[in-house]
Amino acid sequence: MSCSATDLAVLLGPNATDAANYICSQLGDVNNKFIDTNFAIDNTYLLFSAYLVFSMQLGFAMLCAGSVRAKNTMNIMLTNVLDAAAGGLFYYLFGYAFAFGSPSNGFIGKHYFGLKDIPTATADYSNFLYQWAFAIAAAGITSGSIAERTQFVAYLIYSSFLTGFVYPVVSHWFWSVDGWASPIRADGDLLFGTGAIDFAGSGVVHMVGGIAGLWGALIEGPRIGRFDGNGGRAIALRGHSASLVVLGTFLLWFGWYGFNPGSFNKIAVTYQTGTYNGQWSAVGRTAVTTTLAGCTAALTTLFGKRLLSGHWNVTDVCNGLLGGFAAITGGCSVVEPWAAIVCGLVAALVLLGFNKLAEKLRYDDPLEAAQLHGGCGAWGLIFTALFAKEKYLNEVYGNRPGRPYGLFLGGGGKLLGAQLIQILVITGWVSATMGTLFFILKKVKLLRISSEDEMAGMDMTRHGGFAYMYFDDDESHKAIQLRRVEHRSPSPSGTTTTPV
Amino acid sequence: MDTATTTCAAGDLAVLLSSSSNSTSSLAAATFLCSKFTNISNKLSDTTYAVDNTYLLFSAYLVFAMQLGFAMLCAGSVRAKNTMNIMLTNVLDAAAGAISYYLFGFAFAFGTPSNGFIGRHHSFFALSSYPERSGADFSFFLYQWAFAIAAAGITSGSIAERTQFVAYLIYSSFLTGFVYPTVSHWFWSSDGWASATRSDNNLLFGSGAIDFAGSGVVHMVGGIAGLWGALVEGPRIGRFDRSGRSVALRGHSASLVVLGTFLLWFGWYGFNPGSFLTILKSYDRSRPYYGQWSAVGRTAVTTTLSGCTAALTTLFSKRLLAGHWNVTDVCNGLLGGFAAITSGCAVVEPWAAIVCGFMASWVLIGFNWLAKKFKYDDPLEAAQLHGGCGAWGLIFTGLFATKEYVNEVYSGDWPYGLLMGGGGKLLAAQIVQIIVIVGWVTVTMGPLFYGLHKMNLLRISTEDEMAGMDMTRHGGFAYAYNDEDDVSTKPWGQMAGKVEPTSRSSTPTPPSTV
Repeated sequence: MSCSATDLAVLLGPNATDAANYICSQLGDVNNKFIDTNFAIDNTYLLFSAYLVFSMQLGFAMLCAGSVRAKNTMNIMLTNVLDAAAGGLFYYLFGYAFAFGSPSNGFIGKHYFGLKDIPTATADYSNFLYQWAFAIAAAGITSGSIAERTQFVAYLIYSSFLTGFVYPVVSHWFWSVDGWASPIRADGDLLFGTGAIDFAGSGVVHMVGGIAGLWGALIEGPRIGRFDGNGGRAIALRGHSASLVVLGTFLLWFGWYGFNPGSFNKIAVTYQTGTYNGQWSAVGRTAVTTTLAGCTAALTTLFGKRLLSGHWNVTDVCNGLLGGFAAITGGCSVVEPWAAIVCGLVAALVLLGFNKLAEKLRYDDPLEAAQLHGGCGAWGLIFTALFAKEKYLNEVYGNRPGRPYGLFLGGGGKLLGAQLIQILVITGWVSATMGTLFFILKKVKLLRISSEDEMAGMDMTRHGGFAYMYFDDDESHKAIQLRRVEHRSPSPSGTTTTPV
Repeated sequence: MDTATTTCAAGDLAVLLSSSSNSTSSLAAATFLCSKFTNISNKLSDTTYAVDNTYLLFSAYLVFAMQLGFAMLCAGSVRAKNTMNIMLTNVLDAAAGAISYYLFGFAFAFGTPSNGFIGRHHSFFALSSYPERSGADFSFFLYQWAFAIAAAGITSGSIAERTQFVAYLIYSSFLTGFVYPTVSHWFWSSDGWASATRSDNNLLFGSGAIDFAGSGVVHMVGGIAGLWGALVEGPRIGRFDRSGRSVALRGHSASLVVLGTFLLWFGWYGFNPGSFLTILKSYDRSRPYYGQWSAVGRTAVTTTLSGCTAALTTLFSKRLLAGHWNVTDVCNGLLGGFAAITSGCAVVEPWAAIVCGFMASWVLIGFNWLAKKFKYDDPLEAAQLHGGCGAWGLIFTGLFATKEYVNEVYSGDWPYGLLMGGGGKLLAAQIVQIIVIVGWVTVTMGPLFYGLHKMNLLRISTEDEMAGMDMTRHGGFAYAYNDEDDVSTKPWGQMAGKVEPTSRSSTPTPPSTV
């Protein structure tokens, strides 16, 4: 909307210069006001999305609390609080810089340490806060896999490392303008001509958290009593509160409306000027695909479990729901709503399948985190490669005629190739970093707690007492549903000791 | 020719311009152009109002979520037998507060034009001719209401587990309808004697006190009121034994404590950044991306960093002091960090927020130690946390406020933080704020609690306290996990231990001599 006074003056004839200046300054004011308005709207949108993603931390804390036994409630909730707190500090100091510092190389970022130079024309405080909320989500996921048997010091160490380094590097590869696999790479040199499409992080967040959790749980071994020593039969160690599980699940659902649609970062962008066709529609559509995937996964799980185990199980349905969300997260903005239904249906089956596999391999994950976030996250990336629509890809990632798109929609196999690379690379990177870390922690005896601590529950032994006290005369070790636990001689982990 | 839209028909304009040497046609052309500009200007003005109101309304909903957070925090922090009581007080804070704040609280706070002490314009009472002539809208009222009920909620924590419900209703209405609005008038209205936005340029020490979102106005007011209630009532039975040693009366659910804390954290993103009230404002034409939206984002970041640092500091210091990792202490430390940063969140650098949170954690630990020494019992540590960390927050602002941000937020050239080279005027104003709030709340809420105490309306009876108020006053125990637990049909119930109204074998010593 620029206005050249000299051009206008010529057109207006005598005495036209003053008129031209006046008109141009008016138009200049209007232009400035529009610019301001755009920034205000986009920052409002991104900040509120960030607050929603932050509320997922609360949701995951409640989900975790409800899914573990009462004697470990305070422990798991403290890890969730600390994920957020330590993550805040480390992501501010260097995590954000590693992820989004620009200009940089394809592997890692190197500007904006301690938010130096922020805000810029392309990054404001709202971007930092939004990305921080994502970073702490990834660390939270991992805590679910190693719940009920991990030393608190190990939590602090893995969480700082994951949030401050491992995760930011992955987000740099797939989300920054310099990342080697990023679909918005500034120099145009996109992997397979497309870059990997992971809109809100099926891979970057969910797979990273899930694979890290996988290694932690594998190296630690199952909880005492989870697998019966003789036949290897799995024994359910039920969580202590279904209400907390549902509360947590709904809060995660609520927050996902910041996680998926918010990943547009801006809403005041038109796709076709002067019409209703703009990014605000894509944002809304993304909220719809998110919803449909979760709903379908929930229903599929409901009926699937009714067939498999004979009853209607709310906690399983909740997990299925979350698996649907984890899967749609990668392609939520670039698929049609009907495709999201397919995504959710398959995600539920993927989760059921991975859970069966885990049982078979005697892998114990109290929150099914590796199966859900790792497994459904990987499915989500593949799903995107099959169903991504060309028109949406061009709107969201910039118009590139001839770009690869969903295989099932006729877009060729290049996108699938990029997605498979993403799956492999994330698995490899997280295994190499977090696998090694967990192994070292085990070697220096900082990883798993002692058998006595595990039998008594960490709340008693490390966290000041039992989480609940419903009656005044309850001593903390005599409360509801928990028999008195004597300190007995240590028993080797993973054997026939029956659970309390 | 349609002059009412923002579209422009070149054919129409050309007719006017083709004979622009003719003054009549020039005038017509100019009128046409100007009307277009006016339309655009109106549309931009509409957009600005819509954006700002959306921002403020959603911030208000977030602050309201803090009421839920505080209810859960309170519930989890008290014993199970008093759960229904404390949660009811939180529900009623919001409900009664709405009526009293609507009728007169808001007018006392923001009625303008007015004097420096209290608002008094008739059009603000019961929002009678609002929002005309106010410069604000309903979103502002709702936002301020959400703040007012937060202050009242804080106080309920200090007097939990031993206060008669009637006393709650009385103190809560008085605090939300009068005591709190007056304080907010002093520091936040454009007429207030200590306000940093005072319109007549007669600012306190040439600075005005900077309490952006209410470390003093909300947290200190709630905390000092709670302090007096708890002092006048005395500690809970059993809190300090005969030898004066303190006995922890543990809360009944750590899950509710964490739930409440996280909900408060979530809502704080409305409390602090929302206090800008508007988001659509440019600060620097040479950097078009930098405006009030950036300051809003920065405020969310300082808030976050202060809480995170306070949480980490509390984690490690309690590990040293108590020997274990304690989630409920970490939660309280976290909240102390938020209460402290609330004053200066908009005007300090992110690194300074880390200092704020670090110190807030120690301030809370210190005040808790002091409380134990003086046998002061506060079930939610509300006076120590909101009063103590709130006061620290005001001082912190006087030390670390940066020149650039103060001048942007308060439009002008003002004194700023002492440690940033800004002199001592701001710090002096902050100290005056602390003193004045302590004084005002003491002379209003102190006598109120004392009067209630004298009329035997304040503290509950010993029997009620032993049985738990849920049983004796609120219809029964909050939880019934097994069918035979449901004692709502039985008198007194077996779960809490049978309590006879008259004879008691071991009557605990009266509160004042514990």
